[in-house]
Amino acid sequence: MSTLLSIRDLHVKVGDREVLRGINLDVPAGQVHAIMGPNGSGKSSLSHVLAGKPGYAVTAGSVSYLGNDLLVLPPEERARAGVFLGFQYPVEIPGVNNAYLLRAALNAARRQRGQSEIDAFDFLNIVKERMALMKMDEAFLSRGMNEGFSGGEKKRNEILQMLVLEPKLAILDETDSGLDIDALKLVAAGINTLRAPERAIVLVTHYQRLLDHVAPDQVHVLARGRILRSGGPELARELEQRGYDWLLEEAA
Amino acid sequence: MSAVPRPPIPGSLSNAAYEQRLRDAVMDSATLLNAKVLPVSIRSAALNKALAAGLPQLRDDLWRYADLKYLGSAALAPIAAAADDVLTHAVSALLPPRLAGYTRLVFVNGRPLPALSDDCAQLTAAAKPLVPDRTKHERFGWLNDAFATDVARLTVSESLQLEIIFAAVAGATRQAVYPRLEIAVAEQANLTLVERHLGSVGADGLINVAVQVHAGAGSQVRHLRWQQLADDAQFLDTTQIALDRDASYRLAMLQLGARSARTSFRASLYGAGAELALHGVSVTGGKHVLDHSLLVDHLATNTTSTQVFRAIAREQARIACRSRVEVSKQAGGSRADQSLKGLVDSARAEIDLRPQLEIHTDAVRASHGATTGALDDNMRFYLLSRGLDPDTARGLLEWAFLEDAIRGIDVPQLRSAAELALAATLGSSVARQVLQ
Repeated sequence: MSTLLSIRDLHVKVGDREVLRGINLDVPAGQVHAIMGPNGSGKSSLSHVLAGKPGYAVTAGSVSYLGNDLLVLPPEERARAGVFLGFQYPVEIPGVNNAYLLRAALNAARRQRGQSEIDAFDFLNIVKERMALMKMDEAFLSRGMNEGFSGGEKKRNEILQMLVLEPKLAILDETDSGLDIDALKLVAAGINTLRAPERAIVLVTHYQRLLDHVAPDQVHVLARGRILRSGGPELARELEQRGYDWLLEEAA
Repeated sequence: MSAVPRPPIPGSLSNAAYEQRLRDAVMDSATLLNAKVLPVSIRSAALNKALAAGLPQLRDDLWRYADLKYLGSAALAPIAAAADDVLTHAVSALLPPRLAGYTRLVFVNGRPLPALSDDCAQLTAAAKPLVPDRTKHERFGWLNDAFATDVARLTVSESLQLEIIFAAVAGATRQAVYPRLEIAVAEQANLTLVERHLGSVGADGLINVAVQVHAGAGSQVRHLRWQQLADDAQFLDTTQIALDRDASYRLAMLQLGARSARTSFRASLYGAGAELALHGVSVTGGKHVLDHSLLVDHLATNTTSTQVFRAIAREQARIACRSRVEVSKQAGGSRADQSLKGLVDSARAEIDLRPQLEIHTDAVRASHGATTGALDDNMRFYLLSRGLDPDTARGLLEWAFLEDAIRGIDVPQLRSAAELALAATLGSSVARQVLQ
């Protein structure tokens, strides 16, 4: 089992504030890892740093992806190399239509792999099939990116993009937040569709409930910029029952 | 008591010097000022008004963002046109592809070129000149009244699709050109008009346009104004439209060219139920200055105006838009909406948007808003995180930004043509792909 993502002693600052203080994490291909933690623990910061969002300064440590230094790549090259970030708050971009963006994104990844641009009809077939899985209306393709979407629709759209782009490493930042139970099940089904031996999925979440539908191989607790504990699925259930305080107290 | 000299806006040019230059221009061009185009009485009155108005002053709110410094040295007088075949040859490379179904009229340096134009039954040189009342806001329109050497004067009584190209080409002698368009749209008539400005008379010249359209009761006008002059052009534009009862006027303005351009626009909605939709897109870079002063007067009941203006300024460019809507006492039941937005694409570019609303009656619905900013970092990161390269992301977001205004061009053929031109201006491969 090869290690897809390997994070070593990662320290990150936003302005003067240190948001990650020595993260160590290995995610092998074929596994689903959950990163849990209280609000403000650094979960989203970790997602953003991995995707290359500007404004995060890495002050120490390393991130290796498929054996290469991930941190030297600009965000678009990380994406083309197969890193996908599902946003906690997907932006609305009125005027940029969903179909166009999906196709541009897919073609960018294909070019990276030395493949030709996808035929328009093949593209539509793929997208429509994935949309059916996510129970999305086809009319959405011609709408502006997330324009006027409800919170749940935006999250489903993130999963749809992931299904179309088929990344090697998917980092889903609180994709479960704000979803009702039906939407949560759809999102979980989408994620499960993508589980594969060559792929890793990192679920960043505050609650256990997504993990009832997407069984993780490993669970890590992130707090105050560090991973305090790692374990199997039982750790998530323990957190659900006991909350985070006991871990924070132990670590103090 | 002696008059205190007023500080003139165009650098070293005093009002006295400007007046002298105007008088000299009349002497230089006297033989060209055809009375059939405009009678001497009108020309003379206009010149006197232009002389009395002088140059805009530094603190004049209507002019503060315009770049008029070139008026100190650029030619003000028209010159005798070159022979038709010379002009035809010079302009042929500038002409865009034909629009299917449109009658085309080509003017070069303000003068009609029959060899490149279609027959147009609606051209009626004998008709009464359409010379609107002008104020200091329209002061350079008076220069056009005084110096226009030709005119496209039309009466549209039924239905017409018309493309008028005002092309400019530089010659050996520096010159000002005064393209002029007068259109009377009869009651219930229907006009689709594409008005294009192309080329340049050079950095020592001036292109000073006057357009006036009267939209008769119940008429429908679609008017696409498309300024895509060369990079060294200096462009003054005075456009006045008047809308009678239940007239509907959809105006789209694309400003993509010129080193310095100033549009002074006024719409008078004087007939009950008249409706104006104005969509503007201005994009420029370099050190170019595009200035717009838009006035919309609601003068009758149940009139409607909508304005959507979008601007992108790059490098060291400046774009300004002052848009003033006045709703008079007589205009109860009217509605006015304004949305002005600017996108500044460099730390040294500047956009100044000033929506203004003045209402003198109750029972009016009005909204206005103006915002200027840079591209949204979160949107940009979102697109990058999907693998789009930075140029594509930028092009896509700029395209999206302009979308509301481009949407105003509701004739598909015109919209595609305009979109292609915009894509080229934005240098955006993305935009071209979006169009596929």
